[in-house]
Amino acid sequence: MNVTTPIEQRDFKIVGKSVKREDVVEKVTGEAQYTGDIKLPGMLHGKIKRAAIAHARIKSIDVSKALAYPGVKAVLTHENVPRVLHYGSPHPRSASCTKDQYILDDKVRFWGEGVAAVAAISEEIADEALDLIEVEYEALPAVFEPEDAVLPDAPLIHDVGPGGNLVLDPVRVNRGDIEAGFAEADFVLEGTFSGGRPHPAYMEPNVCIADWDGTNKLTFWTSTQTSFMVRGILAEVLGLPLTKVRVLVDHMGGGFGAKQDCFQHEFLCALLAKETRRPVKMEFTRHETFIAGRARHPCRIWLKQGFKNDGTLVARDMKLVYDSGAYGSHGPGVTIVGTSAATSLYRCENVRLEGRCVYTNTPINGAFRGYGVVQSYYALDIQMDEAAERLGMDPAELKLKNVVRAGDIAPSGHPILGHGLEICLQHGLDVLDWKSLRNRDRTPDPKRPHMRKGWGIGCEMHGSSAYPGIKEQGNATVKMNEDGTVTLLTGAAGLGTGAHTALAQIVAEELGVRFEDVGVIHGDTDVVPWDIGAFASHTTYLVGTAAKMAAGKVRTAVLERAAMKLQVAVEEIDLSEGRIFVIAEPGRFMTVAEAMGPSRGIPAANIVGNGTYQPTKSYSFAVHFTEVDVDTETGLVEVKRVVPVHDVGRVIHPIAAQGQIEGGIQQGIGHTLTEDYVIDKKTGRSLNAGLVDYKMPLSMDMPDIETIILEAAPDPGGPWGAKGVGEDPIIAIGPSIANAIHDAIGVRFHHYPITPEDILKALREKGA
Amino acid sequence: MKRIVEFTVNGEPSEMTVDACCSLLDALRDDVGLTGTKKGCDVGDCGACTVIVDGQPVNACLMLAVEAEGRTVETIEGLQPGVDVLHPLQDAFMRHGASQCGFCTPGILMMAKKLLDDNPNPTDEDIRFGLSGNICRCTGYTKIFDAIKSAAREMEAARS
Repeated sequence: MNVTTPIEQRDFKIVGKSVKREDVVEKVTGEAQYTGDIKLPGMLHGKIKRAAIAHARIKSIDVSKALAYPGVKAVLTHENVPRVLHYGSPHPRSASCTKDQYILDDKVRFWGEGVAAVAAISEEIADEALDLIEVEYEALPAVFEPEDAVLPDAPLIHDVGPGGNLVLDPVRVNRGDIEAGFAEADFVLEGTFSGGRPHPAYMEPNVCIADWDGTNKLTFWTSTQTSFMVRGILAEVLGLPLTKVRVLVDHMGGGFGAKQDCFQHEFLCALLAKETRRPVKMEFTRHETFIAGRARHPCRIWLKQGFKNDGTLVARDMKLVYDSGAYGSHGPGVTIVGTSAATSLYRCENVRLEGRCVYTNTPINGAFRGYGVVQSYYALDIQMDEAAERLGMDPAELKLKNVVRAGDIAPSGHPILGHGLEICLQHGLDVLDWKSLRNRDRTPDPKRPHMRKGWGIGCEMHGSSAYPGIKEQGNATVKMNEDGTVTLLTGAAGLGTGAHTALAQIVAEELGVRFEDVGVIHGDTDVVPWDIGAFASHTTYLVGTAAKMAAGKVRTAVLERAAMKLQVAVEEIDLSEGRIFVIAEPGRFMTVAEAMGPSRGIPAANIVGNGTYQPTKSYSFAVHFTEVDVDTETGLVEVKRVVPVHDVGRVIHPIAAQGQIEGGIQQGIGHTLTEDYVIDKKTGRSLNAGLVDYKMPLSMDMPDIETIILEAAPDPGGPWGAKGVGEDPIIAIGPSIANAIHDAIGVRFHHYPITPEDILKALREKGA
Repeated sequence: MKRIVEFTVNGEPSEMTVDACCSLLDALRDDVGLTGTKKGCDVGDCGACTVIVDGQPVNACLMLAVEAEGRTVETIEGLQPGVDVLHPLQDAFMRHGASQCGFCTPGILMMAKKLLDDNPNPTDEDIRFGLSGNICRCTGYTKIFDAIKSAAREMEAARS
């Protein structure tokens, strides 16, 4: 939205088509190489000794037996690793991080934190050696709930930060006059909301390999969304120049935001390899992926809003508390983004928001798809449904009246472009014939009166890019080869979203070459241009624009060269489908390969274009319409059908965009109904750190999804108006389910996950 | 103690030298060099390591390598009927966008192959049930269902 030029229209040849993804043949044949597939000669295996206590000082640590164990090559503890206080998230240039971590400390802050690391000739020997490490702890009182952690006599988890177990000073956002707003209100709604601790549960457990060469250079393979951030933080903590750290990542098995952190095992793997002068691989078990990975911040929200009898929102007062776990990680960013998001979605001129982020002695919460907004919009959207109920209005009508529109101020501080949210909502209402849905029978099967059916609506908006928390920069380099094929170099990670395909489509479209002629080089920090990382739904928007800029420069240079060869002015020629032709006489042409190649007296061309783009932000919008069946005898909620309507601006690859939406819905159904990574409130132990006890929706659980993508409000900041899509679906689906459950059984839930036990208990209370 | 295991993998007689406690998954990945089969949990929960042993789908992490003695193992690397020729399922997965991060894809493809081998015209419910042991966290399964249905139709057309 920082670009005011109109969006270029053209007859698209490649953009908007679901071309075959550039990475997909390898994936369906098993050839795709993931970090865990790499095996280096002489490679050792690293394992981490994890604390079986939630809060303690390490009084002593004895590694002598482990070191003496045959096959063990090195053991690291806090006594022999560099003591450098470092950031918990790898964005040191942003406001969204805090310095509170050591590689290993003499203090334990959560059950499962690493206290020592072993490298051995096999995983089994490394595992066995862990049991030989003797740690003596001095137990400290621990806190497991944010409300306990902020009490005056609560044990302090960190010495750094603002104190009182706060990760950062409270985030306050004020607009208008909150008191005057409430004074104007005809009625006020007030409620508390809470969210559990869903885990991203990506399929590929975290894994890295470190290898040092004779020049003291570290080569580091790791499954990360942010390879340049990992390079930067490793170099900083290990005291190396950036030329001495090379980070590599080819394919990765998902991340969903959580693989953009500074993980303890990554530092330890590098140090074990340095100590042993041999390559070391460190691969999480699935259990470790839970306890040492990153989950969504549990939250408590208090929300009070004032409404007029015509449905106008006149005041919004909101307090949010996010549970950061034992370290800051992305807590600051999540708190800022999640809190400021509540200025928007539904128009309100008088807003007072306060977001806090609190340390507890629980596993670390970090970045996860929806980044704080999942929590805040769950509350906003459900309370909107409650307001409609109070007014005797259709919630669709109330939401349609209040959704943000063009010119309203977005959380970023910029005016919103277009009426994306309104168009999505209206479109869904029309397609579904919502009015007749509202009037239908809630027990459609007279033989099964205990089965209740309900429909709900959930609205959301989400920014592409982390602005204003991070002033972002997207980079791309495009090279035209002498045969007319093209190489795109990008630092953007390939989490599995199809981002590289979208970038190649953009380059091919801009250059006028075939999609198949664009090769993508990525995942090597020594080769590709600097990249901020793949997060914040921004790769297509941010790097896509940079790639378009780079391709545009290459196109100009190729045309200039062709003009010289054709002996015409550059204005007289054009490039399309790999041919450069004289506009006035299309029969007079040369191929791009001919333009690039050598001819008498002219050597082959070397044409390289760079694109650098520093945007602010665009917003994408979505409304989900969801049908549920509630079994009032068992409490089981089944999501039967979802109609997600999304505005993503210009669609680059329709199937990939649909895939993001449908996958986000799967995760969001899980968050709302079954998924919660449970930490014991007495000891801090993880109770369900595995894929059987952590319940995700699988093939039998998925509803029918009828995805609708509208190009309702293209943003001139993205390539041909494209915006992000990755995070939107997981935000909209939650409140749509909660609202549908209310529609079915007349009970309001203010938390997630909403379990069968919750349903039965609520029905009992309602009946009583 | 190491054992030598003779077995057939993807049609080729093969042998591997493994510890008695080594899983078929680790043996395939580390000793045979077939890394297409993925390790998502190592405890039989996720299905990423699904291979076909004597015609039956198996979580390779739950089977000892020594149990493969004399048996026939099919992995993702053997799914292609020939060089540069894809199995209809592989082709359908590409066209329908059924693979995102791709980590579950080899296991799901092997399970889908078994499903279609046994039941060439599966209903939607058959497909959902058939994949109930395979976790995909990216796609919401919708494109996977589409791809399997599409492959089934194409294989049926090719037979008739």
